[in-house]
Formats: sequence, C-alpha cells, structure tokens
Amino acid sequence: MVAGVARYARMFGGLARYTLAREMAFRGNFLVKVSVELLWMAILVAFYKTVFAKTTTIAGWSEPDYFFFVGCFFAINGLIETLFLDNCNEFAELVRTGDLDFLLLKPIDEQFLVSCRKMDWGTAPNLLMGAALMVVALVQKGWEFDAGRVAAFAVTFACGVAIAYSFMMMLTSVSVWMVRNQSLMEMWWLFSSLARYPRGIFEGRGTEALGRFFTFVVPILLVSNVPAEVMVRVFDPGMIAWTVAVAAGSLWVSRRFFQYALRAYRSASS
Amino acid sequence: MTPPDVAFTLAPPPPGSLHALVKYARIFRVALIERMTYRGDFLIGTVLRFLPIVTTILLWRAIYQGSGQGELGGFKYREMIAYLLLTNISRMFSSMPKLAAGIAQEVREGTLKRYLIQPLDLLGFLFASRVAHKVAYVSMSFLPYAALFYLCRGYFDGFPDGLQMLAYAVSLILAFVVGFYFEASVGMVGFWFLEVTSVLYIVMTLNFFISGHMLPLDLLPQPWSTLLKLLPFQYMAYFPAVVFQGKIRGAELAFHLGLELFWAVAFAVLARTLYRTGLKRYSAFGG
Repeated sequence: MVAGVARYARMFGGLARYTLAREMAFRGNFLVKVSVELLWMAILVAFYKTVFAKTTTIAGWSEPDYFFFVGCFFAINGLIETLFLDNCNEFAELVRTGDLDFLLLKPIDEQFLVSCRKMDWGTAPNLLMGAALMVVALVQKGWEFDAGRVAAFAVTFACGVAIAYSFMMMLTSVSVWMVRNQSLMEMWWLFSSLARYPRGIFEGRGTEALGRFFTFVVPILLVSNVPAEVMVRVFDPGMIAWTVAVAAGSLWVSRRFFQYALRAYRSASS
Repeated sequence: MTPPDVAFTLAPPPPGSLHALVKYARIFRVALIERMTYRGDFLIGTVLRFLPIVTTILLWRAIYQGSGQGELGGFKYREMIAYLLLTNISRMFSSMPKLAAGIAQEVREGTLKRYLIQPLDLLGFLFASRVAHKVAYVSMSFLPYAALFYLCRGYFDGFPDGLQMLAYAVSLILAFVVGFYFEASVGMVGFWFLEVTSVLYIVMTLNFFISGHMLPLDLLPQPWSTLLKLLPFQYMAYFPAVVFQGKIRGAELAFHLGLELFWAVAFAVLARTLYRTGLKRYSAFGG
C-alpha cells in the first residue's frame, strides 16, 4: 500500500516536472496565461468592491468575510483547473479518436492516468492569488489566530477539492457515451457558478429548498462554503463531519462510475 | 456519428449576378448542418447556460437586501435582474467563440492559402458561417429563452413600444457586426504573433467586465462609468439591454445607434486593413 502510494506520488511528480518543462518552453505564453488569471481576479475584486460600495453585507457576509470566501473559491477552483480540468476536457477526444486504448494498456491505474496526466501550470498561481486574497481579508478583519480553525480549514479545503474532483470525474465519464462532450466545460462553469457564491443567498420561498438540495443531495455548495465558514464565521462541527463524509462518498461513487463508463468504451478506430 | 454528406446535394453554382450570393448561402447551409450534427451536446450546452442565471439572481437579491436600498446606480432590483437577463441576449448576438483563434490558426498552419487560391474571401466566408452558427444558436435556444423570460416576466415591465423594439433589433444586429469584426481584428493579429490564444483570453476576460455583462456600467464610480460608455465594448452587452429597458430614449438613443454603426464600420475597416497588411507578411507555412 505504502509502496503503491509512493510509486504514484513519484509518477505524479514526474508528470508534473515534464509538463512544467513543456510549459517553460513557452515562457511568454505562460506569463500571459498568469496575467489572464490576475486580470480575472482583479475583475472579481473590482466587481465586489463596486458592490460593497453600495452595501455592507451580502447574505450576512461582511466585506472582509466575503473576500475571504472569494479567495477560498479562487484557490480551490485554481487547484482543480491546474490538476484536472485540462485532462478531463481531453478525455472526450481520447474516446472519439480511440487513443484511450494507449492509456488503458499501460500498467497504471486508468483513473490516475486520465485525470492527472498533465498539469496546467498556467493556473497554478491561482492558488497563491487566492491565498493572498484570503490573508488580506483576514488582516482586514482583524482575525485572531486559532489553530483549531486553521486545522478545520485545511481538512475542509481538501474535502472541497475532493468533492469538486469527483463531480468532474463523473461529468468526464459521460463522454464515453456522448463522444462529443463540449458541454463538459459548460457543466464545469455551472458547477463553479454554484460554488462561487455563499450558501446564504439561497433563502426565502422556494430557493431555500434549492439551497438544501445543493448542500445535501448534490453537495456542490459545500465545496468553498464550508472551508470559508469554519475560518471566518461559525464553526459548525456537524457541517465539517458532513463535508468529510461527502468527500469520501463522492470519491468512491465517482470512481465506480468511471469504471462502469470504461466498460462501455468501444475503442473507436482500432 | 458521421455528419450527413452534403456534397451530393450541391449542384454547380449558376452563373450570373446571383453567383456570389448563392456561394455564401451554401456556406451558410453547410455550416448549419455541421452545427446540428451533435444536437445532444448542443442542446445540453444551451440549457445549462441558464442555470448560472438562477445564482446570479439570488446574489443580486442578497445584495439589494444587504444594502437596504431600493435602487442601486439607477437600477431597481427588478430592473437589475431584467438587465442581467437581457445582457445574455446581447451576448448571444455579439459573442464569437473561436473566431479569432480560428483565424490565427489558419495563419499559423498555412491553411489560409485556400482563400487566396479560391474565389472566396476569408472575411466573407467567416461572416456567412458565423451567421449560420448564430441562426442555429438563436433558433435552438429560442424555446429555452422564451421559457426563461416567461418565468422571469415579473422582472419586466412588458414589451417596449414598436419604435423602441425596432431600435432594440437594430442594436442587436449591430452588436453582432461589432462583435464579429472586433474579434476578427483580434484574430488578424495572428499575422504578427503566431500565438494569440493568450492575448485573446486577456481581451475576452476584460471584455466580459467592460461590456457591462457582469453589472450595469452605471454602477461603477466616475470616471469609469462615462469612460466605458464611450468605448465600443458596451455595444456588445450593455447598450442593447438598456435600449430594451427604455433607459435610453430620443436623441441619446439615435446618437448611440449612430455611434454603434460607426464602431461596426470602423472595426470592419480595421479587420480588412489588418487582413490586407497581414497578407503581405504571410509566408504560407505548412503543406
């Protein structure tokens, strides 16, 4: 087991180094990619600054709290885009051309190879940008250090990434049947558009049920809400436990679904 | 899935003055068929695009509730939601996915030369196929949009009068032309820089904000609000929406429609000029 983990960690490191070398062959392009992300972050900050010039709270979140939330979402989203988005996006093309055969033949776990083959280093700085935004927000808030909250944040942050990854894996697996799956990007956009706002906006007639649906049935709202909440707002152990359980469950379900999907793969051109 | 074979249905084009028109009409037809081949993916994509609208509405509701005010930047809550819904219609006309990247790719890979040896104009070809894509998109998403606007009818004060509706239609068509030639001009940059994808991302990301797609430009502090209203980007999202809402009327409306037309022509001229100048540098790489 330990040897297996070490082997995969080594392989992951190798793949990451290889893609970094490829990325660095076009340094200018890399810099532009990073500036796009910086620009996007600047736009988000400008948007919320404009909004907070007109109001003091959004769904009960004060300005520094809200910016912490935005930073948290930015970091999680950046991590997912760096590690998995490109890979998953290419999966449909692998199915369509039959090139998936080559990946299946390798003596490595298919899911690992499909989802971790390449790293998109251009979005990796998003993690740092998100972290910077979170730190600035904490300073503005006058936050006092609390080891318990930091530990809970680390755990729920990892869970958020795991939940997001599982969703993406399930969306990707659908490509086996759909062949062309440009909607994956749309799905991801939808996914992130649900995760990018605080859960508190789902209140009032009708929408409260929707909020509960996306917390307990399709738990997208846990991804960035819970880590941000345990850090700057209420510390709810029940919610943390639920998030951990959901993360474990969704990883398992998505793996089973991916394997089920692979059985339907017909190896198009060979 | 194999796309339906269209080659057999095409007879040689008749000679005469209709020649060019028939040619571009056929390009339109082929592009439409290509667009409809993967209908499932296309339909899911269209439907899913609506779901973020729900969260946007909820976010703005929370913002208005938090502020305790009925009006922000001259927009009441209902008007704000109506505005954000209407920018989706504006973007439906003005957004040009993959246009600039496509042009740059033709330059980089050398496939551009087919436009040079065939009696076919690059911009004309792209324009005809883009109109087809838009027709397919608008007709496929008509029902979902109609349903959405019906569900959200509470946010609207009914339809504007005939003249305003006409102005709205004109502003949307011009939004398409501005969007097309703007993005085509960006794509022409590919003659000078082989890799433009990243530059494109910067332009498009910025455009998302300065076109008023995220929030009405009136909410921004001065001088940004006035400045952004002078730039051509507002015509791709902000302007058609506020025309529909009747926030711009009379002389101001006529002035802005004129300015929109000016930008449409200006970008068309720019794209043509860049294309002509670019061709002089073009070295037809690839096989």
